[in-house]
Amino acid sequence: MNGWMGKILVIDLTAGTIVTQPLDMDMARLFIGGRGLGARLLWDLVPPGVEPLSPENVLIFATGPLTATGFQTSNRFSVSTLSPLTGTVLDANSGGWWGMRLKKAGWDALIVKGRAPQPVYIEITPAGVEIKAATHLWGMTASETCAALGQDNNKRNVVCIGPAGENGVRFAAIMNDVARSAARGGPGAVMGSKNLKAIVIEGSEKVDFEDKERFRFVQYEATKMLKANPITSQALPEFGTAVMMNIVNAVGALPTRNFQQSHFEHAEAISGETLTEKYLVENRSCWACPIGCTRVTKTSHKEGEGPEYETTWAFGAACGIDDLEAIAEANYLCNDLGLDTISCGATIACAMELSERGALKSDLRFGRADLLLQTVEDIAYRRGLGNELAEGSARLARHYEMPELSMSVKGMEMPAYDPRGMQGQGLLYATSNRGGCHMRGNMLGLEVLGLPKLIDRLQVQGKASYVILHQNSSAVIDSLVACKFANIAVADEYFARALTALTGVEYPTGEMIRAGERIWNLERLYNNRAGFTRADDTLPPRLLNEPATGGSAGQVSHLAPMLEEYYRARGWDPNGVPTPRKLEELSLADLVVSA
Amino acid sequence: MIDPRVYEMFRDIGRDMFVHNLISSHGGNISVRYGDRIIIKRRGAMLGNLKPHDLIETGLDKNDSGVALASTELIVHRAIYKATPALAVVHAHPRRAIALSLVRDEIVPIDNEGSYLLKKIPVVSVEFASGSPQMANTVAEALKSYKCVMLRGHGSFATGQTLDEAFQWTDAFEEVCEIIFYAKQLGEEMIEYRKMSDAYTKW
Repeated sequence: MNGWMGKILVIDLTAGTIVTQPLDMDMARLFIGGRGLGARLLWDLVPPGVEPLSPENVLIFATGPLTATGFQTSNRFSVSTLSPLTGTVLDANSGGWWGMRLKKAGWDALIVKGRAPQPVYIEITPAGVEIKAATHLWGMTASETCAALGQDNNKRNVVCIGPAGENGVRFAAIMNDVARSAARGGPGAVMGSKNLKAIVIEGSEKVDFEDKERFRFVQYEATKMLKANPITSQALPEFGTAVMMNIVNAVGALPTRNFQQSHFEHAEAISGETLTEKYLVENRSCWACPIGCTRVTKTSHKEGEGPEYETTWAFGAACGIDDLEAIAEANYLCNDLGLDTISCGATIACAMELSERGALKSDLRFGRADLLLQTVEDIAYRRGLGNELAEGSARLARHYEMPELSMSVKGMEMPAYDPRGMQGQGLLYATSNRGGCHMRGNMLGLEVLGLPKLIDRLQVQGKASYVILHQNSSAVIDSLVACKFANIAVADEYFARALTALTGVEYPTGEMIRAGERIWNLERLYNNRAGFTRADDTLPPRLLNEPATGGSAGQVSHLAPMLEEYYRARGWDPNGVPTPRKLEELSLADLVVSA
Repeated sequence: MIDPRVYEMFRDIGRDMFVHNLISSHGGNISVRYGDRIIIKRRGAMLGNLKPHDLIETGLDKNDSGVALASTELIVHRAIYKATPALAVVHAHPRRAIALSLVRDEIVPIDNEGSYLLKKIPVVSVEFASGSPQMANTVAEALKSYKCVMLRGHGSFATGQTLDEAFQWTDAFEEVCEIIFYAKQLGEEMIEYRKMSDAYTKW
């Protein structure tokens, strides 16, 4: 067995059972690992009709063949589940050390089922696997939990939830290694619903290679790419991901005040440059990562990790706030309480607009940095108005009969790129399988940064093909599992060659991307099965009707023609359902028949 | 209806190919894939002097009247798009590369930029080296694993997400060959400066 470890750990918290099952190698070859493997397992384990926060939902923590091999950024894991925020298929993905450790403990995946009668944590060590009482940990923050369980990057790694996950906040994160997070879509709430506080892992097994010499050569060539690329070698290490703030703002694609504008007049104050100049203590790297985008920052009150670009935007431009210190502290708090910063900030932005329009009675207003920390805490503990915000912006806006003010797709809040200034990005959000998300492929590279080459960001014709290619590619990167930032400099062909050298399974670049297409279509089938239709592949009306400002002044999203082109190019019918021919081509036809 | 922005892209890349000596007056062809449609240079049009009517749209699978006007190499472009994730194809007749393809089965760059970008360019060979199904399949198969391949005695095919990218591989390839020519002409022993350089042949 090369690349994969060959086994999956299945823990049923209701029954208290711990079982080892072999990894189905046909499944592994088709779906690779990580997100792809998670989606395939979820298809069988969680049928339609399951309530996301019930014991019938599962959590699938999965590594991929590249994990723990030492290949650049091979530290990550994905967690797949039915999302309590969107009701769609979900995978969230995190870096750090824990993913590497799960693989080194000998597991391709860990499936958690059921619900423990009392709070528990799972301990996986070379001595065995145990389910242990966690009553003493319940209520602790992520950093407290990690400390209590002996988090040590060199040998013992912890994944856990904070109070937000315990309290079922629909965008609660799963935190690992203190401040890394698998956050989008609320996997932390699912973990909390299982009374599972943490999973601790020790392990030092090695991954086997088919052709280690060839693998190391590919890795060496990838190193050249990372060193030569100014984004991965200079911009991200020096400024973190927030280096995008001024760039995106300059083209008029920085959503501001709940997407009422697309240019923020105070962007400079919350930029990566300002963060580095005023607050940066040091930058850190995840395991086997030469980039080091993680920020350790210090405000006048606290020290912590972050904020990164999306967070800075969510608590900053989206809320009309230019106080970088308040933004950083909101980020520290989200890390500790276990919250997705994007949905948290964007939901607060939605509440600010609802309040300004008189629909919601609260003091929240755009620019009110002084209310940020208290609001974040209230959300995590579901106190007062926080209890309503903990449901996410879609439910909140619907409750106040202004659903159009939720800047979300399929219930997930969109991040920091305005579709009116990046036409492809709008199509990408509208068709994303987990809702409004920039990590299912991102058009930032093509439409703004010129990676690999710049295309016209306002062009409509042909955008669907670019979006599809990047969606398929991202599905593969999430299945290997690697970091999207490495993929900025290291093209897909390097990953394909590394995968081939590692596993001995021939993956020409096109075949590897085809696996991504297979994963994408499987996720789509899952959502179709759950009742999602073409009507859900849309954007908030504001983006279709209200013109952008700044560098994209006057633009709206031209979603309709792009969506038509997208369905055809995907080989789907006009309702957005994959055709039998397409499923046959992707070796998915049997799956649908058996369902 | 072809977006004027798409025409401008074709016009600029076509002109640059001519200026860079990668084609003669009427040689070479370029295309992009948009879903199940292809936009390709008109048969007989001059890449260095493209007009809006020189861009022909037709199907990826399905024939329509566009095939009567499209480049004779349409069959190759279609095969490439079906076999790979490419969204753009550039076919050129780079002269030094053609010469080298007559004496080598693969072209391994010796310069830093070429090694960095391309690693290795395989040379494939077919009996009917213009617009034949055999040629289309052979080239497409090679492009599953390489972003630029050389058809012996005929020319290069390169793929990319954009025309710009496919053009870059093509131009870089000809530069690789030019440097090999210069180094050969010096007639002195080459000093290897690259770590793990033996591995490039295995790329």
